[in-house]
Amino acid sequence: MSCRGGLLGLTVAFLCCVGSVQCFGQSQDSEFTFLLPAGRSECFYQTAIKNGTMEVEYQVIAGAGMDVDFTIISPQGARLIIENRRSDGVHVVEPMEEGDYEICFDNGFSRFSEKMVFFEIIIEGQGGDVGGDDEFPGVEEPDGSLYSFFLLLFSISLCDLNTVALCSVSPQETMDSLHKRLERSRQMQTVLRAFEARDRNLLEDNLWRVSFWSCASVLVMLCVAVTQVYTVRKLFDDKRRVCT
Amino acid sequence: SAAAGIFLLNIFYSSVSSLYFHIGETEKKCFIEEIPDETMIIGNYRTQLYDKQKEEYMPATQGLGMFVEVKDPDDKVILSRQYGSEGRFTFTSHTPGEHQICLHSNSSKFSLFAGGMLRVHLDIQVGEHANNYAEIAAKDKLTELQLRVRQLVEQVDQIQKEQNYQRYREERFRQTSESTNQRVLWWSIVQTLILVAIGIWQMRHLKSFFEAKKLV
Repeated sequence: MSCRGGLLGLTVAFLCCVGSVQCFGQSQDSEFTFLLPAGRSECFYQTAIKNGTMEVEYQVIAGAGMDVDFTIISPQGARLIIENRRSDGVHVVEPMEEGDYEICFDNGFSRFSEKMVFFEIIIEGQGGDVGGDDEFPGVEEPDGSLYSFFLLLFSISLCDLNTVALCSVSPQETMDSLHKRLERSRQMQTVLRAFEARDRNLLEDNLWRVSFWSCASVLVMLCVAVTQVYTVRKLFDDKRRVCT
Repeated sequence: SAAAGIFLLNIFYSSVSSLYFHIGETEKKCFIEEIPDETMIIGNYRTQLYDKQKEEYMPATQGLGMFVEVKDPDDKVILSRQYGSEGRFTFTSHTPGEHQICLHSNSSKFSLFAGGMLRVHLDIQVGEHANNYAEIAAKDKLTELQLRVRQLVEQVDQIQKEQNYQRYREERFRQTSESTNQRVLWWSIVQTLILVAIGIWQMRHLKSFFEAKKLV
């Protein structure tokens, strides 16, 4: 790569980094799994920029009933989304106003059971993902699929061979695209992990329930058997003899 | 030098407003992080207190700190420390599983809260996101392109670790599932046998009772 190419690449990366913090710095997306005690409500606040999009995905991964009330409240106090007793949901909010959006989870309807809730907030800047996908027109949104991944690796290898005609993108842009796609893969892994955690908790609950009710059932059977025999014997007591 | 400029800008833009929540005085908020082993987690938080005069949230004064407690999947405490009004805690997991991060305020001066709430901005970075690339670039003297490739390698490493952990979890899930299946089958058989045995015992007992009473 010539000096000028390197400088151009640096400028591109610079502009990319100015627009987003996803190049080297921390991601703006947050994901949390927290414990929501019974009868309580927890709210989280996220600052949203205008003309961007905010995607909120939540899932209840533990707790009897596995459901929770979900609300998103705009900075002005308007309730944008209200969901009652749902176990999971995905919502895309397009902020009309700048400010702090309130994301609330309410477990008030449940008296004894504590819920574990996983939620994820993905913030995208203006015009969709920062960094853009226009270097590969025709390739769809990053879906973490291996096809688009290998397409990019292929393009990098072509650039190495100095075949300028085929190398339409600079390595810098390719790196950014790769980074974005890997991030998307990681986000999907997080969601899959939440699903698996929910299923695992459900299964362990089932196992405990099977054991408990089996023991209870056997105890009840034994008690009933003894009571039956005792009752029948009492019927034939000496005081009240049945005539033969 | 251009790279240094980029890094500085990144650090600046990294301090965008993260998620925040309100915490009461004796309240304890717990977050769960399910991570594979040998993964580093960095948590950053800063607190703000409601100032009634200015009617907005101002950075909390000294003396108001947060107590951070981290438990590993076996319920063993791996980090238990008090930090100031702004803090950063780090730990590395040694066993894969659900780690619990609990925060509560340690205010000894009750009047500071004045019945209000403390606003806590929290940001938790897991695995590759916890790396400080400026430091890595300086230490290994990498060019910008080399650093980007390094970052991609770390990302793929993290994804691979997650997948290995996923495979381990799926195996345990399958074991639990088979255990449940066996238990259901076993208990059904045992219950049927108990029922039959009880029936036989009842009949024999009553028969001998009636014979003793000379009713049969």
